[in-house]
Amino acid sequence: MVQWYARTLIDYLIAAGGILLVMVLVYYGLTRLGLRREAATGYALIMPWLLGLVIWTAYPIGASLYYSFTDFNGLQPPHWVGLSNYQRLLAPNSYFWPSLRMTLLYGALSLPIGLALSLAVAMLLARDVRGIGFWRTMFYIPAVIPTVATIILWIWLLSTDGLVNQVLSPFYRLVGMQRPSWFTDPRYALPGLIIMSLWGVFGANTVILLAGLKNIPHHLYEAVEIDGGGAWAKFRYVTLPMVSPTLFYTLVLGVIAAVKTFEPGVFIRLPRATGTFLQVLVYQYAFGTRALMGLASALSWIMLIIIALLTLLVFRTSALWVYYEGERRR
Amino acid sequence: MAITTATRASERRFTLGRRARRLIADGLTYAILVLGLLVVLVPLYWMVATSLKTSTALFLIPPQIVPQPIRWHNYVEVWRLVPLAQYFANSIFVTALAMGGEILTCALVGYGFARYQFPGRDLLFAIMLGTMMLPGVITMIPSFIIWARWLGRYDTFSPMTVGALFAWGPAYIFLLRQFFLTIPRDIEEAAIIDGANVVQLFFRVMLPLVKPALLAIAVLSFSGNWNNFLSPLIYLSTPDKFTLPLGLYQFNSALAGGGEAPKWNYMMAMTVLMALPVVLLYFRAQRYFIEGLTVGAVKA
Repeated sequence: MVQWYARTLIDYLIAAGGILLVMVLVYYGLTRLGLRREAATGYALIMPWLLGLVIWTAYPIGASLYYSFTDFNGLQPPHWVGLSNYQRLLAPNSYFWPSLRMTLLYGALSLPIGLALSLAVAMLLARDVRGIGFWRTMFYIPAVIPTVATIILWIWLLSTDGLVNQVLSPFYRLVGMQRPSWFTDPRYALPGLIIMSLWGVFGANTVILLAGLKNIPHHLYEAVEIDGGGAWAKFRYVTLPMVSPTLFYTLVLGVIAAVKTFEPGVFIRLPRATGTFLQVLVYQYAFGTRALMGLASALSWIMLIIIALLTLLVFRTSALWVYYEGERRR
Repeated sequence: MAITTATRASERRFTLGRRARRLIADGLTYAILVLGLLVVLVPLYWMVATSLKTSTALFLIPPQIVPQPIRWHNYVEVWRLVPLAQYFANSIFVTALAMGGEILTCALVGYGFARYQFPGRDLLFAIMLGTMMLPGVITMIPSFIIWARWLGRYDTFSPMTVGALFAWGPAYIFLLRQFFLTIPRDIEEAAIIDGANVVQLFFRVMLPLVKPALLAIAVLSFSGNWNNFLSPLIYLSTPDKFTLPLGLYQFNSALAGGGEAPKWNYMMAMTVLMALPVVLLYFRAQRYFIEGLTVGAVKA
């Protein structure tokens, strides 16, 4: 046991020493070459990140693109197969399609509902409520609970005899339905996952949106009041435009996070018909018994394209609904 | 005279109406907030309550709201049921190294971006922000090949800790840069006149001045690394090396696969123990949690 820790510590010190050495060499090398000392210092200081960019981002991006055109199990050298990984994924009967549907539906439902809820709570909290610190602290707790813990808790809460079904049982009796076992029934798996995500996610977004709301100058609301506008007018013409940049930020991060959802799909054995999250599929291909790393790389590239397209869509449409105070003044 | 009284009366009625409306609105606000609070807290209460139940009390209908009897012994039992002490030690080790490396290098890089002029700086900074959007899966497989095949570090803690020395976490760099930008240059100039070099300037002058930002990153980084599940899942195979999230996963799937009745009381006890350090830290340092979250979003 001690030797594992020691081994990692040695690796850690070697890497730290190596990075430090590179920083020093960059500084002296660049000043030797006649660069201003300030510029050389700047380059030296960003070296940890720049090295990381090359080693752990740029090279891996290139390598994974290459792997995606190969048959690769991680042991033997990659073997070029052209587009066949992509063809296999996009074939009509591929497991990719139900998983794509699942991931996109999950994002398309959990994200807007979650954002609307967080905005509603944030607006309530922005109303000079008493004990704002207390409320903010409480509403943020779910975001602090480790994802893994949240998932296990909700598997328990949403099991057939779980608390949620117990609480809802009068309602079930009323409409004459059986208690669902949320995560094993294909019809309830997605709603179950969304309920879980809503509990976990709206904490962080609420805090961010609250900060955005608190930045809105009060005189704008007074102006609406003088013009005889009511609560709706205040929301529509002041709150929404002023908070839209913050909303935009949470939306972009939310899209990326939704496509990257991983832990729930690993912990919860979803029924095959529902598909699974795309990132789980990547993991299963790459690290399953058959180690289909080429296929997994191709799928991760498809995910990147999906994220890029969705982000682009959000950015493109943002011109229609995101209002920047500074822009108009310019 | 008569007219003024009438006006006053109507005014008073108007203000009373306003006040009543305000009262109703406030009442509604608090009612919804309390409802929301219940939604947040009931699952957490249920987690703790379940962790204190006997196996027979787990599936009673109607469910026991307060465990009868309260079985504290579950918390003793879980340490024997799974190598929980080992998981804790591993998690603490990994979190401490990753956190330390991350904070120090992100501060260096943030300082470099905030204070020094060099060709291509703005482009590099934009690239750094762009990497925030990159999904981790893209780099997952090649990184695995580097660590496992080239460096022979499969089933070690190195991939989860050494990587942090490369300033991972562009959001942290961004946050620190924003903080460094708010510090007046005069302070540095004074230190330089007093003969400070870059190293002294950074460690003695600048770092103490951005302490709030460092604390914000420390708490976010702690919870991020403590909760990290994907890397241990990929890189670790010896059960004794598992971190807490992976240990919990192992326990969960062993129960799900073994056909046994799920031992939810033990599972919840483990979950409470895993969440406890982060929750305690949150209550002590919540200001920094919230600061860390909102800097990028609102003050950008």
